[in-house]
Amino acid sequence: MSDPIPSAIADPEAPERTLPTNTEDRKAAAALLSLNQNAIGTEASPTGGPSGAEQEALGKAMSRLDIAGHQKNDPVTKKVVKITVADVSFLVDQLELHKTKATELLRSNDGDVVLAMKAFISPSF
Amino acid sequence: MPQPLNPKDQSLFRQVVRNFELKQYKKGIKTADQVLKKNPNHGDTQAMKALILSHLGQSEEAFALGKEALRNDMKSHITWHVYGLLYRQEKNYEEAIKAYRFALRIEPESAPIQRDLALLQMQMRDFQGYITSRTAMLQAHPALRQNWTALAIAHHLSGDLEEAEKVLTTYEETLKGTPSVSNMEHSEATLYKNTIIAETGNLERALEHLEKYGYRCTDVLAVMEMKADYLLRLGRKSEAEQAYTALLERNPENSIYYDGLIKAKGVAEDDHKALKALYDEWVEKNPRGDSARRIPLDFLEGEDFKQAVDAYLQRMLKKGVPSLFANIKSLYSNPSKRDVVQALVEGYVAGNAAQANGSSESKDNEFLVSSYYFLAQHYNYELSRDLTKAMEYVDKAIELSPKSVEYQLTKARTWKHYGNTIKAAEEMEKARLLDEKDRYINTKAAKYQLRNNENDKALENMSKFTRNETVGGAMGDLHEMQCVWYLTEDGEAYLRQKKLALALKRFHGVFNIFDTWQEDQFDFHSFSLRKGMIRAYVDMVRWEDRLREHPFYTRMAVSAIKAYLLLHDQPDLAYGPIADGAEGLNDEERKKALKKAKREQQRLEKVEADKREARKAAAANAKSIDGEVKKEDSDPLGNTLVQTKEPLKDAMKFLTPLLNLDSQNIEAQTLGFEVYFRRNKHVLAVKCLAAAHAIDPSNPTLHLQLLQFRKALDTPSEPLDPKIAEVVNAEFEKLFPKSQTLEEFNDSFLTANKNSALHVQAALSGRQFLNKDSATQNEKDLLATLDSVDIMMSEAMAGLDLLNKWGSDKAAYAEKALKKWPESSLFKLD
Repeated sequence: MSDPIPSAIADPEAPERTLPTNTEDRKAAAALLSLNQNAIGTEASPTGGPSGAEQEALGKAMSRLDIAGHQKNDPVTKKVVKITVADVSFLVDQLELHKTKATELLRSNDGDVVLAMKAFISPSF
Repeated sequence: MPQPLNPKDQSLFRQVVRNFELKQYKKGIKTADQVLKKNPNHGDTQAMKALILSHLGQSEEAFALGKEALRNDMKSHITWHVYGLLYRQEKNYEEAIKAYRFALRIEPESAPIQRDLALLQMQMRDFQGYITSRTAMLQAHPALRQNWTALAIAHHLSGDLEEAEKVLTTYEETLKGTPSVSNMEHSEATLYKNTIIAETGNLERALEHLEKYGYRCTDVLAVMEMKADYLLRLGRKSEAEQAYTALLERNPENSIYYDGLIKAKGVAEDDHKALKALYDEWVEKNPRGDSARRIPLDFLEGEDFKQAVDAYLQRMLKKGVPSLFANIKSLYSNPSKRDVVQALVEGYVAGNAAQANGSSESKDNEFLVSSYYFLAQHYNYELSRDLTKAMEYVDKAIELSPKSVEYQLTKARTWKHYGNTIKAAEEMEKARLLDEKDRYINTKAAKYQLRNNENDKALENMSKFTRNETVGGAMGDLHEMQCVWYLTEDGEAYLRQKKLALALKRFHGVFNIFDTWQEDQFDFHSFSLRKGMIRAYVDMVRWEDRLREHPFYTRMAVSAIKAYLLLHDQPDLAYGPIADGAEGLNDEERKKALKKAKREQQRLEKVEADKREARKAAAANAKSIDGEVKKEDSDPLGNTLVQTKEPLKDAMKFLTPLLNLDSQNIEAQTLGFEVYFRRNKHVLAVKCLAAAHAIDPSNPTLHLQLLQFRKALDTPSEPLDPKIAEVVNAEFEKLFPKSQTLEEFNDSFLTANKNSALHVQAALSGRQFLNKDSATQNEKDLLATLDSVDIMMSEAMAGLDLLNKWGSDKAAYAEKALKKWPESSLFKLD
């Protein structure tokens, strides 16, 4: 189905704006919001959108960023450490950590549970 | 399965969407039902209906319907998006992110979904995800500056300063010509970039950038402050001196500027003459200012100090500045300064003040009464306390000026320091009656009533300044207005009375307020970008990350954990307070007391329910005016909270942020031990012990815990996992070597700290714990602690609690304490 209504839930602001718990804040936020939307509307398209030249410049800028970004994202080879599921769940239970945190902790201690626990409990100050 | 609609229904569906956008929820539901009548399994329509339902506050129905919609149409981005929005409203952000991701996979071009996802990622501090989202959004709309700035923020917060700067620069390079000076967004972005450069540590470059562009920025003060700071840190002294002078000319009260100026001028910290001369120069320039007069008092010594403080005190007392003492008391950490101040003001009231000739009678009077007031506060203050004199002076002040709220307030405070909460509350109520329109004194009176465990009276006072038509009455309004201090005090008062249900209710109330504050930032992820106020936004985000470090959170969480520990140790308290010494009762009596408590609880519940009914009837009309449906609290008395099956698990909710953020707080660590120890989490328990030990190895609470833990390790109820045992033993050995026996450890602690009441109490507790037969000796030794000159009232109170814990007779102790503090109400047993 080609969707004729991409704007269906298109106004994401509506659900968000219900957040502030007290009425006054909510009203203020709504008022500010409407102000801003207008401002942006006029700003973004001063005379029918940015001129071709500007678009081009921005596009070039984007691509420059992209190249820079890719260069940075050279894959950093992670040290291979063997980690068992049982060890992770042991730490999750004993240290009440989130799974990812427990895995991280194990990894930085060469997968050794006892070392990991020792590192975890020594005071950091 | 996606289901095509016929054109008529299609347009009806669009109508539903429009209704939702225009907030015509009822109409929307009607229209949606029309579509669903013919196409009962149309996922998109069901999803829209679910969304509308959730906005009407029917979140359960909404969720059920949202799930069904998803089942009916897994391939629609609408159903997934709505599903995410529903989770979002439930504050289950992780699931919401997942749902948004699915939606985005189906419809990668959808800007709204992308934006919702990005905002949530920011809220969850998923910086890598946020960078990805923001890059995509920038690619879609590179012409919008805020998209560039947002990407820079993403890099900045994830710690990649270089990349953040690069993004900002790349955008700047596309600009043709400089934006006008009135362009706020540009001005803020420039300064934001400057702070990023400064954060890299390259101040040279930051300064260069600032000098080149700063003059065009709107926030002049920030530019000046940043410049002065950079210059000083770069060691360019003479320029820094100029910069700080310029700042002081704008605002001669900011002490940071003085500090900067002094450093820039290179005045030595101990060259008091030169320092004083510098401040005097500013006094001359701003004769009405305070800072330049007050700051020198911090460093001056001896005769110089005496002269300066004499002039300062006389000037302020003549003007009758009520906050004078608050401004002076920080000097008292130096005892000789404290004594000088005391001697001077005592001299004034004795008539030695160098009075200006020809000053009128009433002027003299004001000077005198201000001095009395100052002395009353002086003798109330911890470091210079003499309550008899305080009372004397405050009475003199009241005599001269009987209508003054402050003086009466100080009288109440004196009673508080006497340990007499009853009198204190009464006197504070008198102060309140002197000015019933004053909110400050109103809250003071309420606070003193809470300290005296008069919860109802306090609420009655508070209700004079609340909107009582709010759902839940005055208490409801106090929640809505996020009156944290009141809720905390109220909860602590209930905790003292062992009314755990209400205590927990209040603590959870405060906890939720902190949650709200965390939640509040959500709006700003988009709002601040639109406004372009990014520096303030970044500050806020960083503040939010440390939100629960706030002392108000710590205080509330500590009390809440204590309440849960109490509930765990004495589960009977779930049914309300049972008469003191319940441990001493036999089974039969205990059952009786329990029954009585339960009956009382039911009665209170009934009363509350009746009240609610009455309110509902009264508010039936009022509600429609407000236009909003507020949920009535289904558990106003906290009975559901208190009847938890796992109090220790519930305590974790309060404990975890406390240990994560305020880990230098020894009380947090010792409480952490209590919770983990009871839950048999040995590794975490020893972590808390080690942390507490690092903060203060001779802490009395810690001492007792070390004993308990060692004993538990020596005689485990079930053998420990060998890995755990290895870790725990190794760490614990550092705190309490195996070579020492429990008794030796306790005795050496007692000898080392025999002059501190709290430490002696801990050692006696230790002895009692190790050997029940030593009780008589312990009681005797505890009584002897009252002979010490230094023992404080709060310490004596702790001794009383101890006797309670031991199940000993308290009469002798209380009597002796009462003799020592005859004015106090704390040692009156009933």
